[in-house]
Amino acid sequence: MNRRLQAWWRKGLWAWNPASERESAEAIVRNLWLHWFPAKVSQRSMSWSYSLWLGTAAACLLTILTVTGVMLMFFYTPSIERAYGSIKDLQYAVSFGRLLRNQHRWAAEGMVAIVFLHMARVFFTAAYRGPRALNWLIGVILLLATLLLSFTGYLLPWDQLAFWAITVGTSIASQAPIVGPTIRYLLLGGHLVGQQTLLRFYVLHVFFLPALIWILFAYHMWRVRKDGGLAVLESGRAARLMQPKAMPASKSYSLFGLTPGTSVAVMSSMGLEESEQVPASPTLTRRIALVFLVVFNLTLALALLFDAPLQTIANPAVTPNPAKAPWYFVWLQELVASTTVRLGDFTLSGGLLGGVLVPVILLALLVAWPFLDRSSRACEGLWFAKERARQNLTFLAISLAIAALIFIGVFLRGPYWHLYWLTTPRPTMPRVL
Amino acid sequence: MEPLEQKFERRDFGWLFAMSILFFGLVAAGLWQEYKTAWRPYQERFRLVLAQQGQLRQARSFSVGIQQIWIPDLGVVDRCVTCHLGYDYMGVLPADLAQPLTPHPLPALIHHHGFNRFGCTPCHGGQGWATETTAAHDPGDSWNDPMLTPRLAASYQMTVGELLQMRCNFCHRQEQTTPGMDAINLAKQLYQTKKCAVCHMVDGRGGHSAPELTYEGDVNPELLDFSHLKGPHTLFNWEYQHFIAASALLPTTAMPDYGMTPPQARAMTLLMLSWKHLTYPPQYIPAPPPNHSP
Repeated sequence: MNRRLQAWWRKGLWAWNPASERESAEAIVRNLWLHWFPAKVSQRSMSWSYSLWLGTAAACLLTILTVTGVMLMFFYTPSIERAYGSIKDLQYAVSFGRLLRNQHRWAAEGMVAIVFLHMARVFFTAAYRGPRALNWLIGVILLLATLLLSFTGYLLPWDQLAFWAITVGTSIASQAPIVGPTIRYLLLGGHLVGQQTLLRFYVLHVFFLPALIWILFAYHMWRVRKDGGLAVLESGRAARLMQPKAMPASKSYSLFGLTPGTSVAVMSSMGLEESEQVPASPTLTRRIALVFLVVFNLTLALALLFDAPLQTIANPAVTPNPAKAPWYFVWLQELVASTTVRLGDFTLSGGLLGGVLVPVILLALLVAWPFLDRSSRACEGLWFAKERARQNLTFLAISLAIAALIFIGVFLRGPYWHLYWLTTPRPTMPRVL
Repeated sequence: MEPLEQKFERRDFGWLFAMSILFFGLVAAGLWQEYKTAWRPYQERFRLVLAQQGQLRQARSFSVGIQQIWIPDLGVVDRCVTCHLGYDYMGVLPADLAQPLTPHPLPALIHHHGFNRFGCTPCHGGQGWATETTAAHDPGDSWNDPMLTPRLAASYQMTVGELLQMRCNFCHRQEQTTPGMDAINLAKQLYQTKKCAVCHMVDGRGGHSAPELTYEGDVNPELLDFSHLKGPHTLFNWEYQHFIAASALLPTTAMPDYGMTPPQARAMTLLMLSWKHLTYPPQYIPAPPPNHSP
């Protein structure tokens, strides 16, 4: 009976039965799931305090967003007549619809924050040096894609918040010289946010941007292995490489010099003691399951406690007072608004500074930094290395300035874009009844 | 010394276990939130009331769940009836049944304005999509069409019946008099006797020397001058004070003070707020009287 059950079990679950040991060995070699992670992972890269597991958390958020997003797609209609109604349906009539939307919303806001924090971690640990510079650049593209993904999703509920945030956001983009207005026209599909915009943003949000992020994420992950694992391993590796020792007999250069460089397997374990390593399965897989559960629980708890914002239906004729960009762009809006100078009838638009100069310079700095950094390789994988104190302080200062501007924009700006302290009562805007 | 692998297992396993327990707890909370809706107790009580009132067949066939009146022509989805279940049991269930199960109090009105044609919110306002008390009645920022409640009416010294006439006039706009719409009828009469059309344009008729009033109900209140206004900063109050004494509200205005009484000024305000840009299908607009000249 037991044997028969086993046979059924195998028949039902195993698509293929290896006929020889060679075939079963091949099955392991060719299995994607078994090669997602390295065979062994070092003790240092498992540390909580080094990476803070922020990249993993971002990937978990991406997974949550993809799954909840696909489920939301069953109920959402990207038309200006139905979009708002379908969100109201989700909120009030669809079973678990509100929970799904809330989790999607909070995971999306979280992903923007976590992706940025991940970048900050990589910066503070100088983990972009040497061969990792390419992966840093991929990371910069992933950050931009995440911002764009969140921005395109912002419009979809088609409420006042969505409509005016996209109006403000794309107006900032239009400040770029020469190409600005064209970019805005291309994004909006016209001069105003309308049906064309909604459809464009929807297609970008549910297909092109997620596809781009998933592909780049896969490459980003692969490059981590290709570049020799986390940068925290570098200090140990450098020391050990000084003492030549025989490679284990089982290791070989798999490509036999046909391509430049070394294979993944060689690079990832080179110079590391066997005693410092643990099998990736189950140590790493269990840890990733743990990080996923923490992230999932956090987003679910937020979804249970707080509703995603949803205002009245989009109305191009009535501008909310104040109209704000999404929080991650509100620092640019703050720059645009507070650097606009008026002298009598003459207005010097802050759009050039906030909409063009600052974001372009910051982006250029991000891209160029790995190539400008002249500190020694000994800093690699070290939190706040003394030698890089000035670099780290610069990054921290810029980040804090952005955070301060976001705080002002989100919490302190009230009607007519006036500043109000958190506890100051704000004027109530006139209503109809 | 403890092997590395076991160290990681020992450290992570406890957290994994705790997080799994938390996960099941949160999923259970989600299920509970989904089950424990505000409307469920009302529906269970309604089934009991039906049985007590001898409506055994209805009580048996009543199934618990969200109910709605959907009128695609008006873009209306009214889930009010998820809680207000007795609405069309006029004459069957006692009229003094406690809310939200009370039958509609005006059967004669409903005779001409069937629920399946008009729903609830076209007359009462409020958020029809919502299935929660606050979101439906007092939605705040999430809905810009507040429900016309007795409390809101009282804040403007009116009955809810008078305040509702504003919305009756969405369809009855072109009629000179309509039974049951005393306040609006009075305002339309005042509009004629005070000769408003000499200066103001409405529906393509009237003068050009003052602002057009065709869609006065859609005016964005943020664009008005409230600096001389007493009381709440609302469009209603602004219009009301404007009819009481225009010069006090806007010192430079060319509009004369007509010395209207408060009921007259309230009636005029209701008329102004009823003039909105609405796209109701033609079958909802009453036919003009035989002697009507366009």
